[in-house]
Amino acid sequence: MDKDSRDSSRLVTPAMLGFIVLLCTLPLWIGKVGLYPYLGIEILIWALYALSFNLLLGYSGLPSFGHGAYFGIGAYAFGLFQHNIVPSLWLCLMAALGAGLVAGAMVAAFISHRRGIYYAFMTIAFGQVFWVVAIKAHSITGGEDGLLRIARLPADFGFANIDLADNTALFYFVLAIFALALIGLWRLVNSPYGRILQAIRQNETRAAFIGHNVWLYKFTVFSLSAGLSALAGGLFAMAQTSAFPDVMSLHYSGYVVMMTLIGGGLVSFWGPVIGAALFLLARDIIGAVTTGWMLWFGLLFMAVVLFKPEGVAGWWQGLRQRTAGMSGNATGFARLRALLGGRA
Amino acid sequence: MIDLLPHLLNGLTLGLLFALIALGFMLIVGLMEQINLAHGSLFALGAYFSFMLVAAHLPLPAEWVKAWTTIPLGWRYVTALVFAPLLTALVGMLLEFCVRRTYGKDPLYGLLLTFGAAMVIEELIRLVWGTRDYVLPVPQAISGGIILWDLIWSTYRFYAAAFAVSAIALVWLFIERTPYGAIIKAGAHDSEIVRALGINLTRLRMFVFAFGALLAAVAGIILAPIWGIRPHMGVDAVVPAFLIIVLGGVGSFWGAVSAGILIGMLVGLTGAYASEWSLLSMYVLLIVVVTFRARGLFGKKSLLEA
Repeated sequence: MDKDSRDSSRLVTPAMLGFIVLLCTLPLWIGKVGLYPYLGIEILIWALYALSFNLLLGYSGLPSFGHGAYFGIGAYAFGLFQHNIVPSLWLCLMAALGAGLVAGAMVAAFISHRRGIYYAFMTIAFGQVFWVVAIKAHSITGGEDGLLRIARLPADFGFANIDLADNTALFYFVLAIFALALIGLWRLVNSPYGRILQAIRQNETRAAFIGHNVWLYKFTVFSLSAGLSALAGGLFAMAQTSAFPDVMSLHYSGYVVMMTLIGGGLVSFWGPVIGAALFLLARDIIGAVTTGWMLWFGLLFMAVVLFKPEGVAGWWQGLRQRTAGMSGNATGFARLRALLGGRA
Repeated sequence: MIDLLPHLLNGLTLGLLFALIALGFMLIVGLMEQINLAHGSLFALGAYFSFMLVAAHLPLPAEWVKAWTTIPLGWRYVTALVFAPLLTALVGMLLEFCVRRTYGKDPLYGLLLTFGAAMVIEELIRLVWGTRDYVLPVPQAISGGIILWDLIWSTYRFYAAAFAVSAIALVWLFIERTPYGAIIKAGAHDSEIVRALGINLTRLRMFVFAFGALLAAVAGIILAPIWGIRPHMGVDAVVPAFLIIVLGGVGSFWGAVSAGILIGMLVGLTGAYASEWSLLSMYVLLIVVVTFRARGLFGKKSLLEA
């Protein structure tokens, strides 16, 4: 049994454990390297969002290009539930997750029989519908001014009530949720369900011929991905203490695609996490030097699509295999060909 | 009822211009099997280039710019109408040079690449021209309004509609009645055979990409006085363009034109009754149509479905 297949049957892999332990120490050193704790929260939230997005793009081969809608729906659901129903952290997060699941299921019911570019088009159209509604339904969402005064509610565990108003406290709370989601997603993609998703990515028709209900798998994975994106959106609303329609726009929906691809979501579970960190660090570091940071990041993205679509994770895998003396990046290329080469 | 006529004219004008953008978009889809998400950025570039020429915001020595402003506005406008699309076509060729590497791969590649390109071009526009809105000055002859049946009609809308109709007619003549058009259609049908027949496919693809960019730029110039010139106008144009392609059916000339007019009219009419929601109507229309007719109104099976 090689290392990869041993990892895939574990609940928590050594890499995961190391990563989470490293993140636990982050508030101690992030200030010293010239960054700030809030950036850590942002990276975790976007990494969670990108991970749930990659369930579609990387694992199921479903190009969803209007995914910002569900992130935004989560943010609004968190705020609206808090303002109008009960200001309880757990219920608000459940509301965000639930709103994303319902919206995702509604859209998935319309598009799950489609594939390829038509799938991408339909997800864009639905994403735009939610975005227009968020901007125009001024009395509910606050329109372009956004939904303001969203409180960072305290985490009530029954025996202890932890205040999350401070960035460090919120960071640990988001980290806890992120770690749970990370473990859950790792188990999901390595479960029989996850294997069938990957079969659908490789060849939808064959997966159907084996007897799997492809429509149902596509429907459930889209709803799940939308739900988790909305959960990330809910956390984002809490971090920002407000919700805005921008994150639902086509641009922001594109950013999550950029993150996932640059990080290497097509070949690695960790790709979206690497990509989200890289994207936000680039925004802060390049953005500090020039206002046109998107110009440089966009050029980098174009170069990655052209020359290294396996992204950072693919580059790392290639490097590791070369040093281990293996010939070629067999798994990486095969998976990539299955997604991008299409119809074999 | 008669009060609706100006709204219908506005819708028709918008629809015809959308159709013009969509046609260039579709030529590229047909021949290269790639979605050009940067098509809207080329549209925006056309508008900015024409503004540079018409309003004399040129990166040239002051005396030259001064000499240029002495030329009447009408002539400057005509010059812009010729040179701005040509400049944009050059940018299109540059873009094609990058997109070239994705031919024959899954369309997802090209989609992602051109999305990146759209981001880059939009950011470049922000850096060069800033984030403010500009208004494209138009000659006296096509501005102002006329009064007919007790209603005020904008002269420019008539001009824009007529211009779009003639441009669409020219594109149709070019595709259907010239040998070049025949080659393009043949290439869209089976590019390998076209190559085997001794036609330089690389050059043909570059030409078609440049031609698509040119059409987008022309639409950009004509729409500029209606929409105003701003950095994100590209997204406002590319989204209707792909909606029209999906609605009309990939690969159908008249499908694109009729879907363009349909969407334009719908936006115009909902604009009259519920202006807040006019943008939403086109997405809803698309979702309704595509739910019942998977390939759009006039579509045939295309490679993009695989």
